[in-house]
Amino acid sequence: MSQDDTTAAVATAPPPTGAGAPVARVEDLHVTFRRAGADIQAIRGVSLEVGPGEIVGLVGESGSGKSVLGLSLLGLLGGSPRTSGRAVVHGTDMLTAGAAERRDVRRLHLGAVFQDPMTSLNPTMRVGRQIVEAAGSQDEAVRLLTAVGVPDPARRLRAYPHELSGGLRQRVMIAMAVAGTPSLVIADEPTTALDVTVQAQVLGLVKRLRDEIGCAFLLVTHDLGVAAQVVDRVAVMYAGRITEVGPADEVLRHGAHPYGVALMRSRLSLRTDRDTPLLALPGSVPSPARPEPGCAFAPRCTLAGPDCTTTPPAPVEVAPGHLAACVRDLAEIRAFADAVPGEEPPATGRPSAATAPAAATEAGPGAAPDDAPVEEPAAVRVQNAYRTYGVGSGIGRRRPLQALRGVSLTVARGEAVAVVGESGSGKSTLLRLVAGLERADGGTIELGSAAGAQMVFQDSGASLTPWLTIGELVGERLRSAGVPRAERDRRVAEALELVGLPAEVAKARGTQLSGGQRQRVGLARATVVPPEILLCDEPTSALDVSLAASVINLVGRLRRELDMAVLFVTHDLSVARVVADRIAVMYLGRIVEIGTADEITHRPRHPYTQALVAAVPDLGVEPPPPSGEPASPLDPPPGCAFHPRCPRATPSCSDPALDPRLAAQPGERTRLTACINLEVS
Amino acid sequence: MSALTGGVGPAAATAGPAAAAALRRVTGVPLARLLAKRLVAAAVIVVALATSVFVLQRLSPLDPAKAMLGPGASASAVAQQREKLGLDDPFAAQLGRYLVGLPQGDLGMSYRTRRPVMTDLGAFVPATAELAFTAIVLALLLGIFFAVSTSLRWPGASVLRGVLMAGASAPAFLLGIGAILVFYKQLGWLPASGRTGITDVPGGPSGLLVLDGLLAGRFDVVSDALKHLVLPALAISFGPSVAIGRVLRTSLSSEERSDYARTARAKGLTDGAVLRRHVLRNAVGPALSMTGLQVGLMFAGVLVVEQIFAWPGIGQYTAQSIPVADFPAIAGVTLLLGIGYVVINTVVDILQGLADPRITT
Repeated sequence: MSQDDTTAAVATAPPPTGAGAPVARVEDLHVTFRRAGADIQAIRGVSLEVGPGEIVGLVGESGSGKSVLGLSLLGLLGGSPRTSGRAVVHGTDMLTAGAAERRDVRRLHLGAVFQDPMTSLNPTMRVGRQIVEAAGSQDEAVRLLTAVGVPDPARRLRAYPHELSGGLRQRVMIAMAVAGTPSLVIADEPTTALDVTVQAQVLGLVKRLRDEIGCAFLLVTHDLGVAAQVVDRVAVMYAGRITEVGPADEVLRHGAHPYGVALMRSRLSLRTDRDTPLLALPGSVPSPARPEPGCAFAPRCTLAGPDCTTTPPAPVEVAPGHLAACVRDLAEIRAFADAVPGEEPPATGRPSAATAPAAATEAGPGAAPDDAPVEEPAAVRVQNAYRTYGVGSGIGRRRPLQALRGVSLTVARGEAVAVVGESGSGKSTLLRLVAGLERADGGTIELGSAAGAQMVFQDSGASLTPWLTIGELVGERLRSAGVPRAERDRRVAEALELVGLPAEVAKARGTQLSGGQRQRVGLARATVVPPEILLCDEPTSALDVSLAASVINLVGRLRRELDMAVLFVTHDLSVARVVADRIAVMYLGRIVEIGTADEITHRPRHPYTQALVAAVPDLGVEPPPPSGEPASPLDPPPGCAFHPRCPRATPSCSDPALDPRLAAQPGERTRLTACINLEVS
Repeated sequence: MSALTGGVGPAAATAGPAAAAALRRVTGVPLARLLAKRLVAAAVIVVALATSVFVLQRLSPLDPAKAMLGPGASASAVAQQREKLGLDDPFAAQLGRYLVGLPQGDLGMSYRTRRPVMTDLGAFVPATAELAFTAIVLALLLGIFFAVSTSLRWPGASVLRGVLMAGASAPAFLLGIGAILVFYKQLGWLPASGRTGITDVPGGPSGLLVLDGLLAGRFDVVSDALKHLVLPALAISFGPSVAIGRVLRTSLSSEERSDYARTARAKGLTDGAVLRRHVLRNAVGPALSMTGLQVGLMFAGVLVVEQIFAWPGIGQYTAQSIPVADFPAIAGVTLLLGIGYVVINTVVDILQGLADPRITT
């Protein structure tokens, strides 16, 4: 949103303690779970109010207690925790009231939207019946679906959740949440499972519903960019406490707590400097089983002094409505916020000359022969790759899913290329083909040398066999290569050291490590024998901001030190921007645009790339909601697959005979775009 | 927000004919495909079973001709009888003859009763069907009770659970004998042999006494038949009920912790409504699979338990056929059970499809 809009939004939203009594009030809330004989202190003294019609963002990393706070207000804390304090909604304390009374509050005054609309809707019940359960009648259900922007609502009522797209499912969830006009909706990561263009639409919907219905939202999110888009006030949580709360713009731009400042700095945006390493927060979140006596952030805080570790700091008002729980001087924190990042080599390695020669070889299916094949040694050369899966299970019919429809991509030696796209774009399929995990149905994939490709997966925990030690896992490839034991142990230790893990980790097992450590193990396993090309499948998307930054830095460093090429698949343009020299944008099984990272993120040319760039949530950006959702690879639209969503589409774009090829504009060497209606300035 | 009404992606194409899809699920193409597949499976199983019975017959030292004529028969009479039965023909010819007869309902002649096996089965199957059906229903009811009582923490559920678990750890024949000793011999509550003590039972149309009794308005027959069913059916259903109950309990408790159950609670539904309307339908799939598997085991249980309770079903028939090497009869029973197993599992698949719309679309 632009600066002006922010001010307007804050002005229309009632101030936190102004007009009307708050719809929800949390007072000195403590929530402690008992797990495996240890006390897990999920929330350790939180107070927060939500005013009528206010959108409050609850921001924090995993384990900060933000979701537990949301569930406390809903009165749905599972696992019988010990609680103290109050979580009052509409005059009822949702911690102590009887089951029937809490049910009534949930039915009449509260709504809830959860992260994954696929699992949060009953898969065996038509969405109509599910909405009617909350809305009371069929007519009201139709009215609600219309209000949340579901086209053809009467027909959709008869659909099962799996018959709807992700965005429509989340709209159905929101329709159920606002049924009966609740005074407060708890939205727990409502956009995290959605594609970025759909996320922007859903955030727009939240804001519109607030304006129309006047219900307040508690928006729980790990994504500061999401918070920046819609919320009036932000509360930042860390290790079960609120470190900072205040007007969104104030907290996100002029943070007054070192944690909030560090969080903002380690977050990626399209303006993140590519030439310096990302500012990763050192250390990790303290264990909720052994909380710090003083400020929980002190062990990771560069400003921490001895006075930080004795008692928890009390909130101090640093600006009107802006409270921060830090004992340090505000001036000191502000100076820290403005400080120049430390000395480390750039995250991206060499944004080198290696990028230019490779670019010329990309072309659509059946590229013209005068696209002279470059003799430059390539790490991997994919030519006109096709891949089709049969989908459908049980007693239904199998249908072809066209995951890749003619993709050509060359990654030069030592080059880093990011492949960006939404769900169904085929980006992960491309990676699996290069890894040799699957075979292409058509086209060729050549690896530059015998060193081959190694893969790092998104879910690092699930990809570590639980009964093998880390040493055994990392050393597996050495073992199969016949390396003797002593030599193996030495090289495993080296590989672990290179990814910044202590040697003792070799004796641990996957379940004993944290998410960030496991992802480092994944990298050590892939690089213990340095491959020609490192394949990364969304390695950061399951990690918190600060951890993601350190993994990205590590990929950059490994690439330089081991002289590997990198093929990095991600849905996040801002991640792609910092890890890669070049970015390829995929849509429905094809590359629609490829160019240098700066070209793609700062001067996108393909209408789809432009929509993607515009949808990246960030401070001071009002996204024009891109229309529609990615089409299904089961049924790609004819002609240019993007034409149903394209603002520049002309009738010829939908011509089944049209086959948009990647082509360079006159005078450009590095960028290729597959669009017949380019606006070239 | 004009974009909200813009393109809607793939859902527009797939969500619409939801009603049509639901209809097709029950009546149309996928169901026909399933049935066709199962028909082929049944044919394969029949051929495989028939072949194995014939191989066993070859390997058996018993001579059916000798068994038919009795121990005192002369060698020439036995040879003549073998010739008459076609037992000296090549193996393939015998098997081929048998398989060709099957589609016409010809299961051969029983060596022992000298009647067509089909006729014999017609006489014995209704008794077994009544017992097996009762046992399946009982196993399901006990299993559901076992799971739901645990899930909703009903008082006294643990006692029943203990009884069921203890019972399930004993073999069916031991349960049967124990039940006779306690409920018939000591307490005298329930009868212990046969299907009914009444001699003039109505003679049709289904052969199931409870059903025929109801149709004929003979409630004395209905109640007597039910009393006779209780002990054998219980003996058979104990083990399967625990297996079904444990699977159902596991899936109930995992579905209760699911995201959609949390959504339902967030709407303000009561725990009972969440269980009934949301959780149960999602949890029945694994329990249905287990039921299908258990039915196969229950057939074996039925054959043994019929002996103990002098139940005039195919268990009796089989028990009398085995010592005299009445291979056509044994083969007939084997094929019948094999087909019964395929039918039950087809029904399970259809029920699973009805419970979960994702399986069929």
